[in-house]
This record gives sequence, C-alpha cells and structure tokens, in this order.
Amino acid sequence: MSNINRRNFLGAGLILGASTLLGKETSQKIITSTSDFTPPVIAFPEKKPLKVISDRPPLLESPRDIFTQAITPNDQFFVRWHMPDIPTHIDLNEFRLEVKGSVEKPLSLSVDDLKSKFEPVEITSVLQCGGNSRRYFAGVGPATHGVQWGHGAMGCAVWRGVRLKDILHMAGVKGSARWVGVNGLEKPAMEETPKFFREMEIDEALSGELMVAYAMNGEDLPYLNGFPLRLVIPGHFSDSWVKMLSEITVMDEYRKSFFMDVAYTVPDNDCECVVSGSDFEYKRKPIAVMKVKSVIGYPTPNTVIKKGSRVKVTGVAFDQGKGIKEVMISTDGGKSWSATVLQKDYGKYAYRPWVYQWEPKAKGEYTIMVRAINRIGNIQPQVDEIGWNAGGYQYNAVDSVNVKIV
Amino acid sequence: MKKLLLLTLILASTAFAQVAKPIEMPYIDYPMVKGDHDEVAQQYCLICHSWGYVLNQGKKSRPYWTGTVQKMVNEFKAPIAKEDQQTIINYLVKHYGYEVTSGH
Repeated sequence: MSNINRRNFLGAGLILGASTLLGKETSQKIITSTSDFTPPVIAFPEKKPLKVISDRPPLLESPRDIFTQAITPNDQFFVRWHMPDIPTHIDLNEFRLEVKGSVEKPLSLSVDDLKSKFEPVEITSVLQCGGNSRRYFAGVGPATHGVQWGHGAMGCAVWRGVRLKDILHMAGVKGSARWVGVNGLEKPAMEETPKFFREMEIDEALSGELMVAYAMNGEDLPYLNGFPLRLVIPGHFSDSWVKMLSEITVMDEYRKSFFMDVAYTVPDNDCECVVSGSDFEYKRKPIAVMKVKSVIGYPTPNTVIKKGSRVKVTGVAFDQGKGIKEVMISTDGGKSWSATVLQKDYGKYAYRPWVYQWEPKAKGEYTIMVRAINRIGNIQPQVDEIGWNAGGYQYNAVDSVNVKIV
Repeated sequence: MKKLLLLTLILASTAFAQVAKPIEMPYIDYPMVKGDHDEVAQQYCLICHSWGYVLNQGKKSRPYWTGTVQKMVNEFKAPIAKEDQQTIINYLVKHYGYEVTSGH
C-alpha cells in the first residue's frame, strides 16, 4: 500500500458489494469467518465516527445501539456508495435535476425549483441496504458474497421533498413510456465500467409514494447520504434510492444493465433462495420490498449487567409498509416468549420502537431474542429457517444478543 | 401553533445549503499482506475500490476469488491481462482465502 499513491487513481472507480453469481460454496470443513478484520472507526464529513468498511467508495456502518432510537440521526446514518468518484463539491447554483426521454417537455430543475414549484411532502421511512445483516447468513450456511455488513446498514429518517409523480406530470409522460431510469453523480473510474443506473416500471414511478427528497430529518441531506437530492422509495430496499440524483430518464424500453440484471438479484422462486446446487442456475429477480424484521438496540452483545437490575430492552421493528402487529421477546434463548410494548407509531414505513422491561433474577449467560410479525401475518424466520442466497440479500431472521448477568 | 413552529424550523434549517467548500474524505490505509506479487493486486484492484472490500468479506474459496476477479474483468471492464488475473487470484487465495479440496 505504502508505495502507491491512491490519489493517482482518483476518478477511477469500480464497484462491488453487488454479488457475483458463484455457486453456494460446498466445503464443509472450513468455517469462513466473517470477523477476521475489524474495520477502523473514523469520522467522515458530517458524520460521527462509524465503522469504515471502505473509504473508497465510502461504506460506513452504524453501531447497533443506534436501534434504541426510532429516528436515526443524520450524523450516524449509514453510508453506501457504488462508485469511487463522488463529487466533493456541489454548487446549487449550477446543479440541475434533468428530466428527459419520453416526455412532452424535458425539465432542468434546480433544488430551489423543487422547493418552490411543487407541493412539499414528508414521509418517515426506513432505508435499508439489500445486503444489510449479511454477516448473519454465515450462521446458517457459507458466508455469502460481498462485504459482511452487520445490522448497521439501515436507518430511519423523516424525508422531505417532492413527489416523483408531480415531477413526471410536469414533464408530461408520453403514452409510449414504460420505464423510468434514475442515476446520480457518482462515476466509475473507467469509462467502460457500467454506470449505477436503476430502472423501475412507469406505474411504480407514478404511484405517488416515491419522492425526490431534499431534506432528511429537517436538514439538507448529508453529503454522504446523497446531497442535494435522493430518491426515496418507501418500503423498498435501498438499491434504487439513488443518491445525488441528477437524471430521470423516461423510457419506452427496458435497458439491460449489470446493476439491474445481475447485482441485487435473488433466485426467482418462492423462497427467493438457493434450494440446491448453485445460485447460478436460477432465473433472477431484483430484490424489491423489504421483509419484516426487528433488531435489538439495547443491550448490545456481551453487555455485563448486575443481577436484579431493571433492564430496559429496546429495539426497532419494521416491514414493507403493512405495519408491525407485535414484537415478541425471549430472554431464555427462544424457549419462552413474551410480548414487548410497542411505542409511538411514526407511520407505516417507519421503525416501530418497542420496549421490554426485564429484571434478570439469576446470574449467568442469557440469550435475548426478538421476533416481529406484521399485520398480514409475515413473521421473521428462525435463524435455521431462513433461505440462503449467494448475494446475502434480505436477511431478516430472528435477532439475538448474548449478555452476562453477574 | 406547535406545528407551525416546527414547519418554520424545518424551512429555516433547510435554507442553509452546504455549498461553501468541498468536503474532504479521509483516506484509510487498509493493510495488505506483502509478497506473492501484492503489487499486482495493488495496481489493479485499487483503481476502483479500497482494500477494505477484500478485508471485510472474510476468507473466501479459490472458486469465489476466481469468480470475483472474472466479474471485475467481464462486468466492470477492469483492464487486467490474463496472466495478472491469475497472479491476483493466487494472492487472494493464499492470503485472504483457502483452497477447496473437493468439489468445484
């Protein structure tokens, strides 16, 4: 490393994190540890110190105790880019969001235009990376592809901006339009590398829930979370929540691309998982809506607690927008379960915080587990029930934390 | 009233755009094992991403690293000659992976 000045490579960029399509690794003997390397914890611009999985492209993971809060503070919100070349300065006098393609009237909108010419809307929504919690797949099968995120590649924020529908209506979508493509200002290192370009069907784009956000928790978006604009797709994994959103292209035809057809895809079957053989052999489908999930914010793993303490076990739960019905908790490793008390409802796409008062009566090791169920009966799978996929996407099994009572 | 106050606060706080000066990104010197032609891995892999991408995946099998290098070449168009691809794969397997004795 020392003899390389990486500044020479600026402007260069590749991607990863997107899974390759190798088979499920079959070796039984070798445990593929996911904890060999401990990433440094360093403060990036506008961020408190976070786990730095990578500095270029920046990948920053939030700590677990963030899940004691229903709204994730901007300065602790996770970061995940795909390309190494991210502009380090954006002049709002020059920045424009272009709306083009199969529209009657192409638009070139400044952030001020968005704030002044459209009705502002606000939504509280979870933003979760498709590969979030990926490292826990190693508990049920081979370690999956890609960087091994813990639970900290998600957060929940109040997004404020403009309906994508309203922007498209102003431009006037032509009758022939079938798809909408979105991309931002991040660039690869080499011209030949595929751009981070995401597509959605026109009906989804016009659904009214999608938003072009210019504010997050009442502030400008942090630079690393996509300043000045990002797409918000409530209930959906973050792969199409494009940051530094700069182009919206209305299209008559679907455009094949690595980031749509290969990355962020899972086997196209009921379990969206590998039943046998290799992930390779399956027809693919892109990950889309999120799955019901709950995580423990406190206590964090290996916390030492005095016997007889009144422990306020806290965490958050969410789903694809159907709403959380109940979060169950076990303090004996899953033998018995009790109900937690659901806290304030911030909206159907937001974290639902929950609390459980626990008074451990005996010394020893305890495993705390949580399991959420939503209003349509989707329940988190047990760890040994979750379907494995090579990309390590959509992990949502029962969360557990070991603590010691002394 | 409370709502109005909140709205005013939101409007006020979004009025300050962050245009003043460029952000400066920290540089992390992720460690790379020396030897076995680590310079070839440095030369190509780091064009596009930090070594953190490798370190934070945990140890992987030869078929995995082979597939990953192929993905870099075929999908992301990394300009790595055949011979150098093999050097990088061997380096990754030796220091960041393992051989698979059966299967594959």
